[in-house]
Amino acid sequence: MSLSNILNNWSHYRRGAEEGGHHDYEHRWTMAINLDKCIGCNACSVACYSENNLAVVGKAKFDKGQAMHWMRIERYFDESEKEFPDSGASFLPMMCQQCGAATCEPVCPVAATYHTPDGLNAQVYNRCIGSRYCSNNCPFRVRYFNFYSYYESSWPEPLNLQLNPDITVRDKGVMEKCTFCVQRIRVAKDKAKMADRRVIDGEFTTACAQVCPTSAIVFGDTMDKDSQVAKLWKKQQVERVVTKQNKSNSELRGYRIFEELNVDPSVMYMERVRDTEI
Amino acid sequence: MNGPVKRRDFLKMMGVSGVGGTLAGCDLPSTVTLEEGKEDVVSYFMPEEYVIPGVGVWFASTCLQCDAGCGIHGRVREGRFLKVEGNPDSPINKGKTCQMGQAGVQSHYNPDRITQPMMREGGKLIAVSWEQANSALKQKLSNAGKKIGWFTGTISGHQSALITNYLDAVDASTESHFTHDVVNAAVWQAVNKDMLGDSMPELHMDKAALILSFGADFLGTWVSPVHFAGKWGEFRSAEAGAGRGTLIQVESKMTLTGGNADLWVPAKSGSEGAIALGLVNYVIKNSPNAGNNISSEQQNLISSYSLEKVAQIAGTSQDYIKRIGDALIKRSPSLVLAGASVEGHEHGYDAVAAIMLLNIVLGNVGKTIQPSNATPFPQLQAKPGNTRDLIEFTNAAKSKKFDVVFFSGSNPVFTAPDSLGLKDALGNVGFKVAVSTFPDETTMQADLVLPLSSYAEDWGTHVPAYQEDRNIVAVQQPLMNNLYSDTKGLGDILLDLLKDKKPDEYGSYKDYYAYLQDAIKTLRGSSSIKEPEAGDLQFWNKTLKTGLIDVADQKNTFASTISTENVTIKLPEEKTDSAYPYQLAPVARLGLYDGRHANLPWLQESPDQISKVVWDSWAEMHPNTAKKIGVSHGDLIEVASENGSIKLKAYIIKGVHPDTIAIPLGQGHEEFGRYAKGLGVNPLKILTARTDSKTGELAMYATRVKVTALGKEDVFVRLGGNDTQVGRKFVRTIPVEVLKRTEGA
Repeated sequence: MSLSNILNNWSHYRRGAEEGGHHDYEHRWTMAINLDKCIGCNACSVACYSENNLAVVGKAKFDKGQAMHWMRIERYFDESEKEFPDSGASFLPMMCQQCGAATCEPVCPVAATYHTPDGLNAQVYNRCIGSRYCSNNCPFRVRYFNFYSYYESSWPEPLNLQLNPDITVRDKGVMEKCTFCVQRIRVAKDKAKMADRRVIDGEFTTACAQVCPTSAIVFGDTMDKDSQVAKLWKKQQVERVVTKQNKSNSELRGYRIFEELNVDPSVMYMERVRDTEI
Repeated sequence: MNGPVKRRDFLKMMGVSGVGGTLAGCDLPSTVTLEEGKEDVVSYFMPEEYVIPGVGVWFASTCLQCDAGCGIHGRVREGRFLKVEGNPDSPINKGKTCQMGQAGVQSHYNPDRITQPMMREGGKLIAVSWEQANSALKQKLSNAGKKIGWFTGTISGHQSALITNYLDAVDASTESHFTHDVVNAAVWQAVNKDMLGDSMPELHMDKAALILSFGADFLGTWVSPVHFAGKWGEFRSAEAGAGRGTLIQVESKMTLTGGNADLWVPAKSGSEGAIALGLVNYVIKNSPNAGNNISSEQQNLISSYSLEKVAQIAGTSQDYIKRIGDALIKRSPSLVLAGASVEGHEHGYDAVAAIMLLNIVLGNVGKTIQPSNATPFPQLQAKPGNTRDLIEFTNAAKSKKFDVVFFSGSNPVFTAPDSLGLKDALGNVGFKVAVSTFPDETTMQADLVLPLSSYAEDWGTHVPAYQEDRNIVAVQQPLMNNLYSDTKGLGDILLDLLKDKKPDEYGSYKDYYAYLQDAIKTLRGSSSIKEPEAGDLQFWNKTLKTGLIDVADQKNTFASTISTENVTIKLPEEKTDSAYPYQLAPVARLGLYDGRHANLPWLQESPDQISKVVWDSWAEMHPNTAKKIGVSHGDLIEVASENGSIKLKAYIIKGVHPDTIAIPLGQGHEEFGRYAKGLGVNPLKILTARTDSKTGELAMYATRVKVTALGKEDVFVRLGGNDTQVGRKFVRTIPVEVLKRTEGA
């Protein structure tokens, strides 16, 4: 998608999410995360560092909020006056929700952040001028800005040999974020194209879903109705686009964070469960 | 150019002399010039064998980041090892890994690796050649006679067998091989052995309706965390046989596992045995189904443990204990586990035995606790690391038992409490040889340092100590060539030592690779291999492809009558000490583990799961305790035991018992490279060297401390600012009744 295309067809791209968005989607890459299975172990986060060439920023920069953890685990305790947190902690894996109506996209002055035909919020690194508007506008706080160049500090030789050659190392002044492992999507789509078929559910997955020791994260294409993730969304009666779910059984535990903001997140969480009968 | 001309050299020469043009049809990229003697100019038109530019391939191997023995697939592209994935074929981890496994690539490419042999000269380690190192070693070894020892971490497979063979070859006893790990389950294993006749029984979590865990951090650091996390996924699934399982965690500091509990009960470390006896008492009284195979002597002992009494011992509410008792009666089958905080006392063995008694009374043995598979190759079996060997080694060294000791895969100078006196004892070891990848504390004390290959460059076999469902030998193969030409694999170093002593037996093996190929041929010849394939080569290829060898099941049997007779359970009255009012909990964490991963930047920057702190040490204390001492969050404090003190920041958190000061392991390195050195403190240093009275293991949780406020310090560097969701509903929680209605849990 070129800049001139965007300018010429602006009204087309301003179509609301409820009208189907501005795309005839090829895929809708989607996740379902079971918070009752998630143990908060951080394996997904470190796997993401490994797969996506994320810089290690060190203690001082971490303190300034400049850590590059595309996938982070937030930990919460219940709000209670109790002396002890006797129902344990809550863990929340948080990464870019690949919103269908992303608030980061329209504010980019140079269209560096845009919507792909796969429903991803993509970031064109070499178009990004570092205005950081997208990051300001993201309610999930999952966009990470390169305040510095980290080539030497994060990958002193020979650590640089570990870098994944499928993707770049981002330089100073560039915004970056979770891509749903777009390099893996690319490979799978190319393979499928060569074999003249659609991508098969489960033939690849994101680094976080692949590593997850409890299989709490499920990734796939909801346009493939037989995919595991599509079935989970259907079972939980979670619909896209809406700002409030209309479920026949209101007790079903699938939900999307901040869907009331009309951002149409592509990640469905399933509520944490606690045994209160003991 | 002398010697045979390699294909690549041949092509290079052609390029230089201009006959490259004869390679008709090959498009030479115009940017690539072939110059003689410039190794880094490689044309893509003729790549290395097996290398297709741009295409990654996966090789099966075994993760050595902890001792669980998970199978991995290493992604290799253009000859570089790039990423770790779990091996779906492995019954240990079923395609998954933990964060430590992921960070394996950073162990391999670590900028602080040892790249050449070093020898101590004039108090300093000086780089030497292998020839110099070998001749010095040879001389020391021949003078030492049989006064030679090996000090390793948990070890198994053919490397372990070679150590045994080597000690045998020099007439040293097998007791001269010490295996030491701070994170272990040694007391639990000893109790299992005595009561069930099987030291590492299978734990069928997926079959349990309720898990009651006394400080066993099975999702984080206990026994085989990735395996148990996989089982946890099934345990928490509504579709599982017993429905969604419930976890009750009883401990003095909230571990990662505790953070996932349905009911988390704070209790003083050391009181778990009493709680278990109180629960046995409660279950026998209130459940008609409870087994009653308890001796009258024990019956008398147990009947004195009322819920009221044990709640008082544990420093917790009686209501919690009653709720646990009722849950145990209602939910069957259950599984009761005991972890480090139970084992780490002078009565650790008795307390674990009391917990096993609870399993027996509840009828869990045979249901959720089942006999394990015996490995048909006892010489390959895991020698689990423990702390008793650390103490025994220190004593042996003090009495000058060894002239030469090899250290590998363990860092005792870092993990030994100061009060043990290991550092002085090491002065009595004539010649210390560190076979090491990193310049850790032990390596820097050595007289000779032999550079060890990384786990991604080495061959090996490993028999995981905990196995369930299937019986395997895990195989480790190099994922790439040596990064540094001077490093050597552990097997190769051992083989060289053995060649010297027994040239007839080992002289014919060119290297460890050749030895291992032959050894696996021998395994195939035994009747214990499940699918031995048609020929040796086919079997070898299959082994490398799958990364493991399937061994025939050979179930152990539990002792015919599960005996509680030979177990005397004596729990002492709690000692209080007004000078040192708090218990010190030195907790291992998934990530830096016992400190061995403090040099991996990914794991330093990966927040602790509960406190969310990065790149630091901290002392967790309850708000009530903090109030009493007069410190607030982030204040600098001094934590002092009888044996020393450390200064660090206070972290105020409700998930810790008010009598406990919890300090995570991992930091406080004085050596160990740029990422670890000088960061935080090491709580192991101030432990009092008491031992469990039955097993001789170090009583890690028995140290008492006092806390002094030192005034204000800066804030913590951590992920997130709020401990609660402040009214927002990012993580929503439902009671299990709702799940039962919707998903039939």
